[in-house]
Amino acid sequence: MNTTFDQAALEQLVQPTRINKQVYINPEIFELEMDRIWGQAWIFIGHESQVRKTGDYFTTNINHKVPVVMVRDKNGKVQVLHNRCAHKGAKIVTSRSGNAPGAFRCPYHGWTFSHDGNLLKIPNESGYENTGFDLNDSCNNLQPVAQDNYKGFIFATLSSQAPDLKTWLGGTTDCFDNLCDRAPEGEVEVAGGVLRYEHDCNWKFILENLNDTMHPMVVHQSVVQSAQAYISSLDTDDIKQKAEAQIILPFGASFENFEESGITGFRYGHHYDGGKTSIHADYSVMPEYHQAMIDRYGAQRTQEIYAFNTHNTLLYPSLTIKCAVQNIRVIRPVAVDKFIVETWSFRLKGAPDEMLQRTLLYSRLINSSASMVGPDDLEVYRRMQEGLASNASQWVEMHRQYGRDQQLKDRVRGGGTSDLDVRTQYQAWRYYMLGEDYA
Amino acid sequence: MNQAPLESIEAFLYREASYLDQPDLESWIQLFTDDGTYWMPAMQDQPDPLNHISHFYDDRVLMEIRKRNFIHPRAASQEASVRCSHLIANIRQAGTTKDGELIVHSNFHVVMWYREEQRVYAGTYQHHLQTSDSGFLIKHKKVQLINPEAAQKSIIIYL
Repeated sequence: MNTTFDQAALEQLVQPTRINKQVYINPEIFELEMDRIWGQAWIFIGHESQVRKTGDYFTTNINHKVPVVMVRDKNGKVQVLHNRCAHKGAKIVTSRSGNAPGAFRCPYHGWTFSHDGNLLKIPNESGYENTGFDLNDSCNNLQPVAQDNYKGFIFATLSSQAPDLKTWLGGTTDCFDNLCDRAPEGEVEVAGGVLRYEHDCNWKFILENLNDTMHPMVVHQSVVQSAQAYISSLDTDDIKQKAEAQIILPFGASFENFEESGITGFRYGHHYDGGKTSIHADYSVMPEYHQAMIDRYGAQRTQEIYAFNTHNTLLYPSLTIKCAVQNIRVIRPVAVDKFIVETWSFRLKGAPDEMLQRTLLYSRLINSSASMVGPDDLEVYRRMQEGLASNASQWVEMHRQYGRDQQLKDRVRGGGTSDLDVRTQYQAWRYYMLGEDYA
Repeated sequence: MNQAPLESIEAFLYREASYLDQPDLESWIQLFTDDGTYWMPAMQDQPDPLNHISHFYDDRVLMEIRKRNFIHPRAASQEASVRCSHLIANIRQAGTTKDGELIVHSNFHVVMWYREEQRVYAGTYQHHLQTSDSGFLIKHKKVQLINPEAAQKSIIIYL
């Protein structure tokens, strides 16, 4: 790629405690990130429950432009294929989801492909005889994208050099495990649809906000105080038991609370905050759900499952999970100053419907573009996008608790209000962008 | 019995629209019954607001919190002024609910000015109107966008 950023210039952009503003606002850097980060990392595509039957498919982009389709083939295997006809390049399917009965058929010249991508038939095939065209050459198939899954969560990578998925996930598998363990049947499925939220700013801002625990009491002070003001205007405080109050009020938790929850970082930019406690820890447990859990796991194991309480887990760069809430957000970059966030909710198999309803309530109250939380987050991201155009300084900083991070065998631990999460992400940024390996 | 003069329904919907144009949430909330709800589905033909995600599904509690948040000095997203122009047309009655509320369908176009940008929303409203001697109250308002599945920008005001 032609770029004004050679290796030496790129190296200067990310330093131990500060980041050059170009990382957020420069379109060339964005293209390099798409190529090197989104082109090398495992990118979350979807969950296998989105494609239950043969021919069921789900489409998305693996980075800002490469269209892919996740599909269930006739052997029951989930494939991720480039959504591009081998003939002239047309996208084979454009619906976000659907079923392709029997085979994929290109709408242009009618080439058909099996659900595992193999070319089946070309109309009026005789025209290709003795032309050097080989029907059986795999280059005429829908091209596969390397994919693997962990507990039904399907990731794909454009790289042939990526570590295997489980190695790449590292200690964050605990979060997938916990999400599934919270289901009395041990499995989750996508349910209740998706919210799509357009962000007019750089994709990294939301990732850097996930475990930024110095912001909730500032950015979300208004909604917390508005809820408190309403509650105190009532004659009774019964409302505090309502799920709405249990979801909104902890956004006003103190610095001390967040500090205590801690942040844990991993290789490849992943991290989570919480573990022992988080702002989701005080949700009341529905009796019917609790009983189903006890029946399945016994009392002690059930308590252990509840006790692993993370807030946000980031799988850098495309996925963030809330185990205790059972929703995820998926990042889909579009341009240097634009990305889409998708919020998907999960049903805990074997749990009463009220659990899914609470998940959806959370997604609506916190993650909807019409919520009283998401728009305030986006507002500050957008202000950074605009403010960083200034040459007042070339830098943003990430010093909080620098030098205090505790390196363990496979992870780094630090205070809940530290910038450990951002430092973890930029270590991965250097890994992907510069080829700088981990020590 | 279950019909009302179209003019009175129109007048009520126009009054509601004018509160949202300003916006005057204090007055707007008073148009709802105590158990009134406001729903903006996130898909076409969404069967219900609880088992599928919605952009909005507010009861009085959330309306009261939103009303306070809307004017809170530290809500950064509310710092930019928001102004709307609602146009409502094709108003037609569509029977009654099992509780006897009038079902009123209409089409809307809303032009919104927010964060240095003018946007357009379009779709249909469905109002369930409780009638009394003093006029109408909204038991339920459903806002069906023509593009509910699209990626939305921040929506900081009811449509």
